[in-house]
Amino acid sequence: MIKRIILSAIGACALALPAAAQDAYVVGLTGALTGPPSSTYAPAVEALRIYIDRVNAGGGVNGKKIQLVLEDDGAQPSKAAANTKKLITQDKAVLVVNASLSSTYAPMIAETKNAGVPLLFASGVCPQSVYPPADPLQFCTTGYASHFDSQATLDFVKATAKAPVKIGFSAMAIPLSRGEMDYAQDLSKTMDMTPVDEEVIPPPTADYTPFATKLKDAGPNWVYSWAPWVTQVRTLEALRKLGWQDEFIAWGHIEAEGDLARLKDDKFFVVNANALFQDALPIHKEIEEAAKKAGSKYPAQTMAEGWIGGMAIEAALKGAGWPADAIKVRAAMENLKIDTKGLRGGSIEWNKDNHFRTRLYYRVYRWSGDKIARVQDWKTYDVK
Amino acid sequence: MQLVVNIVVLASIYALIACGYVLIYRVSRVLNLAHGELMMLGAYLLLATASLFSGHPAMALAAAALLSLLTGALVYVFLMRKMTGEMVLAAILTTVALGILIRGVAVLIWSAQQQYPAVALGVANPSLSLLGGARISIWSLALVLTNLVVYCGLFLFLNFSRWGMRMRAAGQNPLLAAQRGINLHGVYALAWSLSTLTGALAGILMALDSGLTTSMPVIGLKAFPAALVGGLDSLAGALLGALIVASAEVLLIYYVDPLLSDVVPFLVLIAMLGVRPWGLFGTREELDRV
Repeated sequence: MIKRIILSAIGACALALPAAAQDAYVVGLTGALTGPPSSTYAPAVEALRIYIDRVNAGGGVNGKKIQLVLEDDGAQPSKAAANTKKLITQDKAVLVVNASLSSTYAPMIAETKNAGVPLLFASGVCPQSVYPPADPLQFCTTGYASHFDSQATLDFVKATAKAPVKIGFSAMAIPLSRGEMDYAQDLSKTMDMTPVDEEVIPPPTADYTPFATKLKDAGPNWVYSWAPWVTQVRTLEALRKLGWQDEFIAWGHIEAEGDLARLKDDKFFVVNANALFQDALPIHKEIEEAAKKAGSKYPAQTMAEGWIGGMAIEAALKGAGWPADAIKVRAAMENLKIDTKGLRGGSIEWNKDNHFRTRLYYRVYRWSGDKIARVQDWKTYDVK
Repeated sequence: MQLVVNIVVLASIYALIACGYVLIYRVSRVLNLAHGELMMLGAYLLLATASLFSGHPAMALAAAALLSLLTGALVYVFLMRKMTGEMVLAAILTTVALGILIRGVAVLIWSAQQQYPAVALGVANPSLSLLGGARISIWSLALVLTNLVVYCGLFLFLNFSRWGMRMRAAGQNPLLAAQRGINLHGVYALAWSLSTLTGALAGILMALDSGLTTSMPVIGLKAFPAALVGGLDSLAGALLGALIVASAEVLLIYYVDPLLSDVVPFLVLIAMLGVRPWGLFGTREELDRV
C-alpha cells in the first residue's frame, strides 16, 4: 500500500513538473562541467547560474522566472548532442546554450537547427558562423574569436618588439587551435615577422619540456599561443625552465588573472577581451559579492564570461516577451544590444547579419613590479 | 644533452606510474584501471594537507603520502576484497567504476579549476643547469630521484623482506600461499597500498612541477603501455618499458612530429604485442587475455 502511494506521488510530481516549467522561461545549457577542459568552462557555467539566480531573486524577466537546466557533456560531442536533444524535446527549452569545447559544436548545431531553437555560445570560442553573414540560429558572447585575436595579438607584438621578430607558435592538438596558429603563422609573414616553429601539443601531456625544447631550439624571440589555458601556461613554464627568457604572449582566458599573479613574469603578456578584475570596476565588485554570497568554489576573477552570457540571456528573454517560444527569442536576439558595464570595451550588438559583435575591443596585460599592469588599453577592431 | 634529460624525466614519470599497475597485477592479476585517478587523488590530498600544515611542506608531503597509503588499503578493504573469487573482468570493471567515482568526487570537492600545490605549500620550482647546457626543474629532479628510490626500495622489499616474499608467493600461487598460512587479504591490501602510494608520488611530483587538473588520469593511461611493453608482472620490465616508450616519444617529438607523442606509447605497445605479447620481461605462462 505504502509503495503504491509513493509511486502515485512520484507520478503526480512527474506530471506536474512540465506544467510548472511552462510558467517559466526554460533555458537549457550543456557544458564541459567535467573532463579535461572543464577548468575553462565550469567557472563560466557557475557564473551564468549565479547571474540567472540573481535575476530570478529579483523577480525574473517580464515577471516570469528563468528555469536554467544544466547538463554536463564532459566536452564529448556525443554527450552534447544527447543533452541538446533532451533539452529541446523533454525540457522544451526556448534557448540552448553551449559552454563546451569546439568539438561539441557540430552535433549541437545540427540538433538546434532541426528544432529551430536558437543556440548561444557563451564561453566556448565563437564559431565563424556567427560572423557576418550570420547563421540565423547561432549567436555568441564569448570574448575570444579566431582570426581577430591573432590580428590583435600580432599587431601588439609588432608595435612592442624592439628587434626583428622571430616568432614561435604553440597550439593544442585540437582543430580550432591548430587552425588559428596556422592562420597566425601566415599572418605573421605579411607583417614582416619570421615564423620559426609551431608546436602542436596533445592534451593532456605529462611533460611539456620536450615540446618546449624544440620550440626553444628554433630560436624565437617571441612565442604566441592561442589554445586552452593549460597548454598556453604550461608551454611558457616549460620554456622558462629551459632558460628561455624572451617574450611570450597568449590569449587571456578566464584563468589568466590568477596565473599572471602566480608567475610574476614581466615578459608574459595576455591579450584580453574582458577587463581584468584588478581594474576594480563596480561590476567586478558586484560579481565578487554575488560569487561570495553563492558560496562559489571558483574565484570571481574567472566569472566574467559566464556573467556576460547571463546578461545576454536576460536581454534576449526580455525582448521576447511572455509567453515566449524559440521563434520569439531568436527574433529578439537578432536585434539586441547588451551593455556589458565595462566588462568589455563596449556593448555587444547583434543584428540580422551579425550575431557576433560589430566591434571588438582588446586590452593587453602583464605583470609589472608588484601588480598586474595594463600595457595596452582597449584597441578597437570593426567586424564587417 | 637536453633530449637525454627529457627522456629520463618522462621515463621516470611513466615508470613511477607503471610500477603501480605491475604491483597489483603481479600479486592479484587485476588490472587497476583506476590507477590514474588514484594518482590524481594523491595530488589532491597534498592540496588538502598543504592547507592543514601551512608553512610545513615536508609535513604536508609526508601526510599526503601516508593518506595515499591508507587510501589504497581502504580501496582494497571496502571494494576489491568483495571481488575476491569473482571473475577477473568483474574486478577490472569495478576499478573502472572506482575511477569514475574518484573523478566526480574530485570535481565536487576541489572544483574543475587548475590547482597549484606548490603555491599552496609555498615552495618554488627553480631549474638547475646540468652538463652540456641542459636544464632540469627541481621537482623533475625530485621525480627522477624518487623513481630510483622507489624501484630500489621495491627490489629490496620484494626480495629480502618477509612481507615481500609473501607478496611474491601470493602472486605465484595464491592457493598454496594460503595453505602455508599467508594472510592473502593482508598481502593484497599491502599491494594496493604500495601501488596507490607510488601512483600518488608520481601525481604529487607532477602537480608540484606543473600544476594539477582533473585531466591527470589520462596521463595514468598513457603510462599503461609502458607496463605492458615491459611485462605486466615485472618491475624491471616496467622500468625498461618506460624508458623505451619515453625515448620513442621524446625523439619523435623533436625529430619528426610533436603530434606523434600522443600515439607513440600505443604504437610501441602494438609492436610489442605483435612480437612478444607477454612483454619484455613478462611471464609467458601468466599471460591472461581479458
